[in-house]
Amino acid sequence: MRRYWARLAAAALAVATLAGCGLGGGGSPDGGSTAVGGEVKGKVSLQTWALKPKFTDYLQGVIHAFEKEHPGVQVEWLDQPGDGYAEKVISQAAAGTLPDVVNLPPDFALPLVKRDMLLDVAGADPKLAEEYVAGGVDAYRFAGHPGTYGYPWYLNTDVNYWNGDLLTRYGLDPRKPPTTLDELITQARTVKERSGGTVHLMSRKPGLGDLADAGVPLMSADGRGFTFNTPEAAALLDRYRDAFKEGLLPQDVLTDKYAGNAKLFTSGAAAWTTGGGNFITGLATDNPSLAPKAVPSPAMGTPPLYVQGLSVARSSPNKAAAVALARWVTNAENQAAFAHLTSIFPSTRASAQDPYFSRSDGTNAGDAKVIAFTSLAKARVLQPVQVDGAMSDIVNQQIALAISGGTTSRQALDTAVARCNQLLKG
Amino acid sequence: MTHRRWYTPWLLVGPAVLWLAVFNLWPTANTVVLSLTDARPLGGGHFTGLANFRRALTDEQLVDALVNSIVYLVVCLPLLTLLPLLLALLVERKLPGITAFRTAFYTPVIASAVVVALIWGWVLDDRGLVNGLAQELGAITRPVPFLTDRWLLLLSAIGLTVWKGLGYYMVIYLSALGNVGRELHEAAAVDGASVLRRFWHVTLPGVRSTMLLVSVLISVSALRVFSELYVLSDGTGGPGGRDMSVVMLIQMYSRGFTGHLGYASALSLLLLAVTVGPMLLLLRFDRRAAR
Repeated sequence: MRRYWARLAAAALAVATLAGCGLGGGGSPDGGSTAVGGEVKGKVSLQTWALKPKFTDYLQGVIHAFEKEHPGVQVEWLDQPGDGYAEKVISQAAAGTLPDVVNLPPDFALPLVKRDMLLDVAGADPKLAEEYVAGGVDAYRFAGHPGTYGYPWYLNTDVNYWNGDLLTRYGLDPRKPPTTLDELITQARTVKERSGGTVHLMSRKPGLGDLADAGVPLMSADGRGFTFNTPEAAALLDRYRDAFKEGLLPQDVLTDKYAGNAKLFTSGAAAWTTGGGNFITGLATDNPSLAPKAVPSPAMGTPPLYVQGLSVARSSPNKAAAVALARWVTNAENQAAFAHLTSIFPSTRASAQDPYFSRSDGTNAGDAKVIAFTSLAKARVLQPVQVDGAMSDIVNQQIALAISGGTTSRQALDTAVARCNQLLKG
Repeated sequence: MTHRRWYTPWLLVGPAVLWLAVFNLWPTANTVVLSLTDARPLGGGHFTGLANFRRALTDEQLVDALVNSIVYLVVCLPLLTLLPLLLALLVERKLPGITAFRTAFYTPVIASAVVVALIWGWVLDDRGLVNGLAQELGAITRPVPFLTDRWLLLLSAIGLTVWKGLGYYMVIYLSALGNVGRELHEAAAVDGASVLRRFWHVTLPGVRSTMLLVSVLISVSALRVFSELYVLSDGTGGPGGRDMSVVMLIQMYSRGFTGHLGYASALSLLLLAVTVGPMLLLLRFDRRAAR
């Protein structure tokens, strides 16, 4: 009898445990159709990422205008804090409580698309591709999933920033900064020799973006495997390894994280960094004496494209209103107003004519903004969205190992590709 | 005579059993189940048998992480078992101002591990205090790579752990030393025993069980180290990720939208197995010593 109860308890525990494994799917309640019909009215929720309190007035204004335009609509605005946003969205998706309209960068959107949780907004809004810039729209198209799964909202890219003071001090011309890796290495050598090794020009190790920029195919066309372990990629890492051995890079690039080079630049230990179009604004707070000396120039090679967007939950009971709201928040007028408040760039084609973005006010910050805006025309999302946190860590670790001389470049790339492919498959 | 109903004991232990089931048994059972699947945060969860464990056995990073954990254990265990005891013996005396010393030794314990690691990061950084001073004095031409060399980074983290743990274990020993009979020391002194002999024959047997407790605590902490290595390596685990601890690996694989929960669960169970081993060894050693 006791054994019977023990077995029953064990079975119940196993059943309950399996139920908690997240085996539920994100099935499509509407049978996969993306046609959105019906009136724009009813309740609709909008979730943004860390916009309160700085942009509260702006977004409330946008929402109020939308409700005025569509009298039958009530918008509920949810803003999540910056930290833990991914976890928040995961919990919402797992519980089936995704907001109707949700701010998702492409790498957040892809896992939800794979689970069939997002609406193909291009299917619901045929004008989308005409009205938004190609790079922004492409960022929400994923291999193996026909459709577009988000309205591009705002964009950014990288600009080079040079410490004009240091370049001049070491006999270099800040108006003629390096435009290629060769020139960068040459000038880095000059800076190293003339500063006695106390200042570096090169301030970061290469990443997947640099490999892509060098023409290395990062992934297969179907997105099912990584392919960046090529001789060309190994040759690029070899050049960095030689530069590192020569002392042209600081040792701590081996363990830097994102924005590591910005920290070095801000502290005056490095004379070059990459940053968004608004980098000088932040620099004015962190190092006010350095901000006026920062000289912007276009990024070397293909500029990276950073995209934020608004996606619509497939489970939304009010798709017509959700699509209309996503479109409204991301329209040219609202994006332009947003861009005047902070240094982001609109994803709408109509904004290209706006002189605010294409004309500098004569300051270095204004120049940086114009350089960033003009760079957007050829900017691309360099890192595949399939690269998740663990893969990114593995790639960075292996690149650091190759540069430090801990292994050959080819071996490091082979290891990185093998591990990333293993993670991709399961 | 009161007639006790059969369910009365169950009512009494029920809340505790429920608590244990929800917060201990369930997560443990769930981890075991997850380790046998390819689960992701948004689903998956197909049964894959022992595939995750087979994969772990061929994972070079796990081997590195285990080596790091063992080095951590081998270095930290003797240092953190003996140094705090000696420190406790020093500050046990009733001297004027001794409280200030006790407080000073205990201060690092109160500080958050992350904050302490950040401060040590600034001290040991290429442009930090140590390298800066050494370069100013002309002792070195290039910075010593405390945070970018595999073994130096590991030793820096160990140094930080030892520095931070001294005060904590010192306090535990202080309470144990208070229970060692003063009359035993006096009798030994009357018999002509030297300070060293009194320490060996009176103090040590008196704190033996505390030493075992401290050893177990250190072993578990050393094998589960995270904050020090994570912060000192800026979250990268050092060049090639070769300074990762097992907990860092688990964090790396389990985070974000596409977290590999199945594999991370398998790593968690392997860590559990590795942690239980030294504890059993220590307990066995203690039983033998007691005999």
